[in-house]
Amino acid sequence: MTTSSNPVLEVSHFNVDYGVGAAAVRAVDNVTFTLERAHVLGVAGESGSGKSTLAYGLTRLLRAPGIITGGDVHLHLGTDADARRMDLLAASEAELRAIRWKHISVVMQSALNALNPVRKIGKEFDEVLKTHNRSMSKSARKDRARELLGLVNLTPDRLERYPHELSGGQRQRVMIAMALALQPELVIMDEPTTALDVVTQREIVAELQKLRQELGFALIFITHDLSLLVELADEIMVMYAGRIVERAPALELYRGPRHPYTLGLMGSFPPLHGERKVMTGIPGSPPNLKDLPGGCAFHPRCPYAMERCTLEDPMLSPIEDGQRTVACWLHDPSVSAAVPVELRRKDAALAGEAG
Amino acid sequence: MRRFRLPGTWKVRVGYFLLSIFILFTVIGPWVAPYDPSYTGFTPDLSPSSQHLLGTTLLGQDVMSQLLVGCRETLVVSFVAGVIAVVISIIVGLTAGYVGGKTDEVLSLFIAVFLTLPGLVLLIVIISLFPQGQQANPLVIGSVVALTGWAWGAKVLRAQTLSLRNRDFVEASRIIGERRWRTIFAEIGPNLLPVLASSLVGTVLYAVSVSTVLAFLGLTPITTWNWGTMLYWAFANNAALAGEWWWLAGPCLAIALVGTSLALINFGIDEYINPRLRVGNLSNRERKRAGLSRRPKLGFTPVHRVTPVIGAPVMAGAQTGPEVLATEATASTPAPREDHP
Amino acid sequence: MRTFVRKLVIALITAWVTITATFILPRLMPGNPIEQLIGKLTGRVTPEEIAAIKAQFGQGLNEPVIVQYWHYLVNLFHGDLGTSITYSPQSVSSVIFGQLWWTLGLIGTATVLSFILGTALGVYFGWTRGARTDLFIPVAGFLQSTPFYVLGTLLVMIFAFRLHWFPFEGSYDATTVSPGWNWAFIASVLRYAQLPLASIVLCSLSGWMIGMRNMMVTTMSEDFVLMAVAKGLPKRKVMWHAARNAVLPQIANLTLAIGLLVSGALIVEQVFSYQGVGGLLVNAVSNLDYPLIQGIFLVITFTVLIMSAVGDVLYVWLDPRTRTATVE
Ligand SMILES: Nc1ncnc2c1ncn2[C@@H]1O[C@H](COP(=O)(O)OP(=O)(O)OP(=O)(O)O)[C@@H](O)[C@H]1O
Ligand SMILES: [Mg+2]
Repeated sequence: MTTSSNPVLEVSHFNVDYGVGAAAVRAVDNVTFTLERAHVLGVAGESGSGKSTLAYGLTRLLRAPGIITGGDVHLHLGTDADARRMDLLAASEAELRAIRWKHISVVMQSALNALNPVRKIGKEFDEVLKTHNRSMSKSARKDRARELLGLVNLTPDRLERYPHELSGGQRQRVMIAMALALQPELVIMDEPTTALDVVTQREIVAELQKLRQELGFALIFITHDLSLLVELADEIMVMYAGRIVERAPALELYRGPRHPYTLGLMGSFPPLHGERKVMTGIPGSPPNLKDLPGGCAFHPRCPYAMERCTLEDPMLSPIEDGQRTVACWLHDPSVSAAVPVELRRKDAALAGEAG
Repeated sequence: MRRFRLPGTWKVRVGYFLLSIFILFTVIGPWVAPYDPSYTGFTPDLSPSSQHLLGTTLLGQDVMSQLLVGCRETLVVSFVAGVIAVVISIIVGLTAGYVGGKTDEVLSLFIAVFLTLPGLVLLIVIISLFPQGQQANPLVIGSVVALTGWAWGAKVLRAQTLSLRNRDFVEASRIIGERRWRTIFAEIGPNLLPVLASSLVGTVLYAVSVSTVLAFLGLTPITTWNWGTMLYWAFANNAALAGEWWWLAGPCLAIALVGTSLALINFGIDEYINPRLRVGNLSNRERKRAGLSRRPKLGFTPVHRVTPVIGAPVMAGAQTGPEVLATEATASTPAPREDHP
Repeated sequence: MRTFVRKLVIALITAWVTITATFILPRLMPGNPIEQLIGKLTGRVTPEEIAAIKAQFGQGLNEPVIVQYWHYLVNLFHGDLGTSITYSPQSVSSVIFGQLWWTLGLIGTATVLSFILGTALGVYFGWTRGARTDLFIPVAGFLQSTPFYVLGTLLVMIFAFRLHWFPFEGSYDATTVSPGWNWAFIASVLRYAQLPLASIVLCSLSGWMIGMRNMMVTTMSEDFVLMAVAKGLPKRKVMWHAARNAVLPQIANLTLAIGLLVSGALIVEQVFSYQGVGGLLVNAVSNLDYPLIQGIFLVITFTVLIMSAVGDVLYVWLDPRTRTATVE
């Protein structure tokens, strides 16, 4: 997958700290990935694993005391002909302002908080269209706003409403419509459905699926619910304590997790299809970033932990012919111990065997 | 419960320092005053000198002595008023917030009415109705000032109680069936401390201002010494017109400084109550020490590449690597990094 | 709408409390202040006038209190606040309305100026918090916590007596101009109003400024402000997103602030010997002119009520959430 070469976002060795000096904690640690044009990357992990920090860090939207302490982030703008590769970490404020929303847009977790409470929805659309397209006429902007609401199955009369007059699902749809207003290459959604009920969640994910096929934007979709990602995402990245612990094509990851943490994460949620499995969950609690355990950060909670796990931090390495990557000693060729069967499964037929 | 300690910013420290000086003078003022404040035998109208640090009045009195002696009455009245007002606001605000329902509606209305009444005018009306003899009593003045100044505290306390009421620990003690008042005092009370402190400081501030106004207008007896009566006499004798600035400046600055010290402390309480007021938990000093030259801006996360020491142990990730070479990011060289072993 | 009705109820109750308090207080206070007053007046005024004052405060009347209260309300409704003792035989209402415009002018201008300036500065200081501009905060604290009249005194000392930039007392130059709609008079009024206005504005501006700064800082940590940045909006527009919301609590606090400002302004008038209700009040108090004191209290309270009603309307207009019944 990484071999094709039409990327929209390249991230390498990306680090984010909160605070400086002795008080600093590293919330995103050495994250590297590439996102292909029109692909969907799911990012999953427990609360506090650094998903939001990663998303806002990439876009330079992270608030103080967040500081980017290393790495590179490049965004590819425009089509093949006049493609431009932009270094987001070196960009000036003005340069960032020019690409924001036009090329990268974001959808935040709580749509209620993300919409200005004293503004009509129509005004928000109008403002963003006007800012990035001075020549667009007022009526053209209004038509565009109607059209955008149509995309997310909302009636145009919502434009005259204030945020508090909409339901949670409607607000989130408005946010999604707004994110697509300028047809950006990349949309980042930070838990856009977490605050909604399950039915609305599914509806919105289905709509997104449809929209991204129609419009062809690349999407980073953050959630702590892995099952949501299976339908939507091309690839899934699992984060723990600010690092990527596993990355694989969505279905493969879902059917056959390779990292014990991914396995635990899946056990934490009822599966999308099929019979309910036992919800094992992950024992213990997420680590304190100030005082990470030595070796693999997950080892205190890992049922398969070996001595080596307490000593050395595993690197994210390719397995299974480079199809996927995982940061776990269990899969290291130099480790003689056998990989447990539940971390070896290849397809759904084997699922029954695991329990 | 968190311990209630104000952030040690310089504002709070200066505030504490100033206030403690004035409190010290409240206690020892009359003893350390160089002369009798009412003695009129000095040369009138002297500008400040080593003999008379703040000069003398037109009536031949020592201004410094008046200021020191007057400190006690001014501050005692103000603190009496502050304490009484806070007690009233605790009773009204806590009851309204905790009991809720009809009681809350009636009490909130009561609070709103008192907030709307112009305090000082009401105060003047009430004080003018008191017989002369009682107008000098600090307790009487304090109570009347408190009567017109409790409502703000009650409003804030009510809101805070309301929000605390629904939190788990209060809910729990309610379910266990603890007695109402016990819950209020044991569970909610301590969490209200910062808000209480804030309203105490605010009310004392108000009381300093209005109690001196009353004296200044000659509504409370002008025969005792406080900063208000000093101003009364200064104005009555046209001190400003005569250019006797020292006569006015002493009490004016004293009142302003007491006010400032309280305001500075209140800034600290505000920051304690509302952590968002603290600069993103990244103090300027920390920032500069780390070599981050610019203040973090909204929507422009700083890039500050930290280069780990070459050859530092790879174990346990890079996050513990000592920082030696810090460069503010430009487009320049990416940091050397440890790739696969 | 609910908020609106509630505000109206509060205003009505406040009005009623004020009216009733002016009726009850002189009758209830210890030491019988009215007796004192009459003792003081005997021999100085005609027996009829004394009888009128006695009647106004319910002395030596055979009517039950409730009937007195009724008469009081009826008189009040007709704008009859009794006769002033100090300015006898003028009625209280004519005495007050003769001076009210000066006070209203001062208060009105000061409120508008300090609110606009303070809020604008607060937006700026909130936006740049953490920068050097933070050093202004303690200065603002100093101004905010200094009573109006103390600052007024300091200003008079410096700018009127030392530097002679401004006149030090009065509301116009009575020796050269005469009141009326002529330019010389207006210019003189504007000149004389500057220093009193400055002391009120400087003090109350700091309160608005600190309040707005803190609200601005709090609002800036809201998602929708970050969202405005994420949309690539220019700085000015992002600031507007935050400021537009941060200003709401400021307007909600208008009532409280106006009460303080009005009280303060009355005293400032005294410092500058500025014409107005403040001077009347002090005179009335020192002459135990209870009818006038009551009248002033009523008029001032109603002024505050009207001004805060304006604030409430403004609030409803600015915050759509108060207009709809839907709960989120
Ligand atoms: N302002 C801050 N100061 C210090 N540490 C912070 C701050 N914000 C977040 N963190 C820490 O950074 C880590 C990552 O937080 P982040 O918000 O990115 O998690 P997340 O994966 O998005 O979680 P969630 O699913 O709850 O949104 C957490 O451990 C958190 O404690
Ligand atoms: Mg998050």
